[in-house]
Amino acid sequence: MKKLQLIASMMLGLAAAGSVSADAGKDTYTKVCAVCHAGGIAAAPRYGNAADWGPRIAKGVPTLYQSALKGTPKGMPAKGGNLTLPDASVKAAVDYMVAAAGGAKAAAEPKADAKKEAKAEPKKEAKPEPKKEAAKEAAKEEAPKAAAAPAPAAVAAAPLVQEGASAADVNSFNRLLKPAGKRNLPPPEDGIHDPANDGTHALQPPLAAFGSLPKSFAGNRVNWVEAIGSGKIKPRWDRTDLTAEPIVMDMNVVREVKGSMPDVVYPHKQHTQWLDCSNCHPAIFTPQKGANQISMASILLGEKCGVCHGKVAFPVSECRLCHSKKKDLVKPATAAAR
Amino acid sequence: MRKLLTGLRGGLFVGLVLALAAVLFVDIQDAQAEYGDVVINNHSDAATMRPVIFPHWFHRVRFACKVCHADLGFKFKAGGNDINMVKIIDGQFCGACHNGEVAWSVENCNLCHSAKPGTPTQVHESTIQKLAQPSGASQKK
Repeated sequence: MKKLQLIASMMLGLAAAGSVSADAGKDTYTKVCAVCHAGGIAAAPRYGNAADWGPRIAKGVPTLYQSALKGTPKGMPAKGGNLTLPDASVKAAVDYMVAAAGGAKAAAEPKADAKKEAKAEPKKEAKPEPKKEAAKEAAKEEAPKAAAAPAPAAVAAAPLVQEGASAADVNSFNRLLKPAGKRNLPPPEDGIHDPANDGTHALQPPLAAFGSLPKSFAGNRVNWVEAIGSGKIKPRWDRTDLTAEPIVMDMNVVREVKGSMPDVVYPHKQHTQWLDCSNCHPAIFTPQKGANQISMASILLGEKCGVCHGKVAFPVSECRLCHSKKKDLVKPATAAAR
Repeated sequence: MRKLLTGLRGGLFVGLVLALAAVLFVDIQDAQAEYGDVVINNHSDAATMRPVIFPHWFHRVRFACKVCHADLGFKFKAGGNDINMVKIIDGQFCGACHNGEVAWSVENCNLCHSAKPGTPTQVHESTIQKLAQPSGASQKK
């Protein structure tokens, strides 16, 4: 009797959540998800393809929600790259795609067994909900199921959540690496802006400005040098005089380095497009060849090149952008001819 | 039956609260602000204002580095410029542009003073910060 009631309440909950979110899910899918999920671009699981979706659904719908909301290392961008989407819409879209892949049954069946597996289940499900308030629909669907869990299990599972959160991303211990879903977040979500401040919401989100700019692999993920070189951006050279042009100095300085790394080529050109001579000379660099002691250690500590590189210009992880001149390891006879 | 369910709900609620606390804890340790965002908290906390966030990316799209760092005299050091509101209103530092002519004026307090209270002065995402000073650190020299 009790069992029957529980199952019935679960079904009701499912049906209610389903009818509310079905239209929203389809809407989101066609506007955002279909770009990749219709044809399987970048190995995305294809819409309606049970073989693609089967293994993913087997991991549980909450896991799918997490992947959709936070992105995955395989290439799924957080919220499909559309960070302004409300969480509820993303979840609705997931539901819509899961249903189309025949996942409705597969997903529902484990739910009937949830009472037995409840010890493991609640910790997964409790996670996505508190993170964003917008998950009401999902809560409706999941609450009866979780309620079926023995109370002690729900409490006992809670401390595990933290462990699960860090274990979910095996590289999370390495603060130098940032998954795709955590780059260029809008100010209210970036962790240092106060979302309770009205001004925070008036600020331009980085991606709104970066969309048309050339990409790079570090920093803001924008190739600033190419952006200015190709005329995509035209930063003013003077506070008010719009006609002022930079005095670009095209002179490379080659620094021979110890060890096997390629020598460093320092291009004045790319630097003088942004900077005035007085920014670097003479305070940071003595304007004389061979007069400056530079080491990677000093750069990492924020001196010399590190005054900008590693703060606003590309960081030291991009070794070959500076170490770009191959050494002549063997001195062939042709060297004399040169 | 109903009593049992309320009991279970209570347990679930406690679980959710604990999970929320855990998630919040993880997120604060793991701020995802833009590369080069400078937090300036020289006087803000003491004056019960939110600390200032200066977004480098936003400004470099519009101005060459030289405009601020050569013409306006900003040193290459987060928190090293001893900026205050008197100087800004007097037309120095930020006030050279944020005067209602080149850019919006100082009345828009919350556009600059927008960081979470207590955020230390830092260049966000900088190599030094990552190597030595996690964003969750409470103090920076």
